[in-house]
Amino acid sequence: MKGIAGLLAVMVLFFLFRIVAAESPAPPFTGVEVHSLGPQRIGSPPPVPVPPNNPQTSMKIMLGKQLYFDTRLSMDNTVSCSTCHNPQMGWSDKGPTSEGIGLQRGGRRAPPVSNAAYLPLQFWDGRAPSLEEQAKGPIQNPIEMGNTHENMLRTVGDIPGYAEEFKRVFGTTPVTIDQVAMAIAAFERTVVTTDSPFDRFVNGDDAALTSFEKQGLEIFNGKGHCTSCHWGSNFTDGRFHTIGVPQRGPLKEDNGRNETTKLAKDRRAFKTPTIRDAALRPPYMHTGGDKTLTDVINFYNKGGGTHDNNLDPLVVPLGLTNQEIAALVAFITRAMTSLNPEVADVRPIPTSDLPR
Amino acid sequence: MKNAFLPLLVLLVLSAVLPASSHAIPAFAKKHGFNCNMCHAGYPKLNDFGQRFRDNGYQIPGQEGKESNIFSTPPPIALRTSTGLSAYDIQSGTTDGFGLLGLDLLAAGMMHKNVSFLFIYTPRIDEPSADFTGSHDGTNPQQFGAFESGSVVFSNVVQGVLNVRVGRFEPAYHAISSKRTYYLMEPYEIYGFSTPQEGFVFDDNQIGVEATGHSRCGFKYGLGLVNGTGASPDNNRSKDVYLNVSQTISPGDGQTAGQRIGAFGYYGRQPLITSGVVVSPTGEADGISNETFYRYGGHASLNWRTLNLQALYMRGIDDKSFNSLKPTKDYEFDGGIAELDYAALANNRLIASLLFNWISPPEYDSDRQVRAYSALARYYLGDWTAVNVALHAEYTHRETGETDLFKENIYSLLVDFAF
Repeated sequence: MKGIAGLLAVMVLFFLFRIVAAESPAPPFTGVEVHSLGPQRIGSPPPVPVPPNNPQTSMKIMLGKQLYFDTRLSMDNTVSCSTCHNPQMGWSDKGPTSEGIGLQRGGRRAPPVSNAAYLPLQFWDGRAPSLEEQAKGPIQNPIEMGNTHENMLRTVGDIPGYAEEFKRVFGTTPVTIDQVAMAIAAFERTVVTTDSPFDRFVNGDDAALTSFEKQGLEIFNGKGHCTSCHWGSNFTDGRFHTIGVPQRGPLKEDNGRNETTKLAKDRRAFKTPTIRDAALRPPYMHTGGDKTLTDVINFYNKGGGTHDNNLDPLVVPLGLTNQEIAALVAFITRAMTSLNPEVADVRPIPTSDLPR
Repeated sequence: MKNAFLPLLVLLVLSAVLPASSHAIPAFAKKHGFNCNMCHAGYPKLNDFGQRFRDNGYQIPGQEGKESNIFSTPPPIALRTSTGLSAYDIQSGTTDGFGLLGLDLLAAGMMHKNVSFLFIYTPRIDEPSADFTGSHDGTNPQQFGAFESGSVVFSNVVQGVLNVRVGRFEPAYHAISSKRTYYLMEPYEIYGFSTPQEGFVFDDNQIGVEATGHSRCGFKYGLGLVNGTGASPDNNRSKDVYLNVSQTISPGDGQTAGQRIGAFGYYGRQPLITSGVVVSPTGEADGISNETFYRYGGHASLNWRTLNLQALYMRGIDDKSFNSLKPTKDYEFDGGIAELDYAALANNRLIASLLFNWISPPEYDSDRQVRAYSALARYYLGDWTAVNVALHAEYTHRETGETDLFKENIYSLLVDFAF
C-alpha cells in the first residue's frame, strides 16, 4: 500500500514537472536588446543591430533620409514620416495623438523613431517585426499618409532624381516598396542616442549627474520599479504590458497587442517605450493623456490603472514621496536627454533640396 | 555563584533572542541588475513587488518563461551577515561585547520555467567566550550549522492559482515573516512560545509540501502538510496541516501598499514517546501517544504612505498531556505582535520601527508572561546599484513575569550586510 502511495507521489511530482517546465514557443524577439530576463542592467547602448539583408551604406542612408522628410509619399503631399516623427519633438509629435492627412486624428501617439532600431518589434502593439516592415505601414494607412504602395511607388519612380538614386543604391529598377522601406529603415538606424549624462556617469564620469539626479537613478532602479520594464541600455524591455492607461482620443476601445496576438493576456497591452530623451516628447502614454513626466510617475505611484482587470502584475503602488518623484523627474529630464548632436541637430530637408 | 550565573544568563538570553536566520537574497538582485529596493521596502522586508516575485517562484511576475536560468547566469550565491556591539542590562549588572550575529549562505534561482529552488545554509559560528571558562563542549555555538532551507517550487501549476513548494521552507502561515524582519536582536516572541514539554516553534522552517495561490482580486491562500518538528526524519506518522488565507483590499499586496487582513490555523500532533516501536533505517519513527496542539489567529497589515502597521494575534492550545504544570488542563495561551515601520529618505534609505511583543500564558504559568518594547533605526549605505549595507541601532526593553518582574534591556549597534 505504501509502495503504491510512493509511486503515486512520484508520478504526481513528475506530472507537475511536466506541466510547469513545458517550453512555450519561442517569442518573436530577434534584437539584441530583448534577451532573457537577467541581467537587466541599464547602461550604454551597444552598436545598432543591422539585418544582414539590409546593410548600412552612406548612399542608402541619404536616400532614406530624403524619403523620411518627403511629403510626396502621402496621398495629398502633406504628410511625411517626419510629420509625426519630428526630430524637433523628440522624434515624435506634439500629440496627444498623431494627425494624418486631411487633419485626421489617429488613435495613438506617435512612438519615437530615435533608438527604435534597438526594438525587435515596432508600433505600440508590435505588429511589425522590423523597421523595414514598420516603414511600409503608415504609407497605406488611411488616416496617416492615406496612400497606396502602388501609387506611392509610381510617384517616387516618376521623379528622376529618386529613380537615379534608387538604381545607384539597389542596382535594380523599378523602385519597389521593399527598397523604399529598406532605405527609410537604414536612415532610422542612424537615429540613435548613446551619449547622455547617464551614459557618461556609468562610463566613469561621476560629475555627469547631480546628487539629486543620482537619487533619481537609484529610485529608478529601486523603489520606483522603473527598471522592471524600462531596463537594458535602451531603457525598455521591448515587451508589452497592460498598465491600465485610461482610453482617450478617437478610439473608444484599444486592445493593443491583443489585436495582433489575440491572446487574452495581451488585452490593452502596449509596448514599453524607451526612457531615453523622454523629456523631449510630451505628452505621454500611448494616448498622450499624461501631459508631464510627473503625471506619468503619479500614475504609476498609485498602482497604474487599477480599474483594468488585466493589469500587469509588475504594476504595484510604489509609495513614492513628492521628493522622490521630483528626483525621478530630474533624472529622466536631464540625465536621460542625449547630447548626440548628429541626432539632436537633424533638420528637415527643405522641399527644394529633395530629388526632382 | 553570582559571577557564574551572569554569563550563563547572558548565554541563555542571547540564544533565546537571536533570530535563527533571516533572509534577503541578493542573488536575485545580482541576476537582474536591480537595486535591493526593487523587491525590499528596505532589506530584508519585502515590498509588494518582492512578495509577488517570491510568490511566483522567484520569477518576475507575468514574465514566466523569459528568464535566464541558473545554467546561463553566474552562480546564484549570496551571503548575509551582521556584526557589531551589543549590550545586555539587567538589575544585577550589565555585559556587552562585539559579536557576529549570524551568517546565511544562500543560493536561489530558476532551474527551468516555473521550477525554482532556494537553499539556505547557516554554518556553525563560534561558541560564546563564556564557554571557554567552562567545559567548552561545543554545545552552545552562536549559531548551529543547519540546512535551514532547501526547497523546490513548482510555480503556476495552475496559473497563479496553484504553486507547489516541496522540501524545507518557510511555511505560508508566517503572515509576518520572522525571516524578513528588520529586527536582528528581538524576535517575534509569540512564535517561539509553547508548553515547555511540547516544543513546537511556530516560526521554524518546516519540511513537507505546500500549495499556495492568489487571485486577481487580492485573495491568497497557503495550505500545507508538514512533519511539524521542523526537522527530518519525522518522529511520528502524523503529519501536521495548516491553512493561511488573506484578502487585500485596494491596490497592492499589503506589504507596503494596500490593506490586508487574514487568518491562519495550524493543527499538529506530536508524540509523547518519540522513539516509538518502528525506526526506519533513515531515522523515521512511529512515535507513540501522539497528542494534539493548535495555533490559530488573525493578522493585518495596513499601509498609509510610507507607514506600515502590521499586527498578529495568535492563540495556542496544547493538549493537557504536554502540560506538566497542570496535567488536567490543556495549556492555553495567547499573544501577538504589533509593529509600526516607517520608511524615509530617497529610496527608503532610512527605516524606523517600533515593535510590541506580548505573551499571555495561563494564570498558573504567569512567570512566562512577556511584554517587550523595541525600537530600531536602520540607515542603508550604497548607491544606485545596491543599498546592501545597513547601519543598525536597536533597543529592547523586556519584562518577563507578572508580579515579580524580570526586566532586561538590550542595546545593539550593528552592521548588517549582504551581497
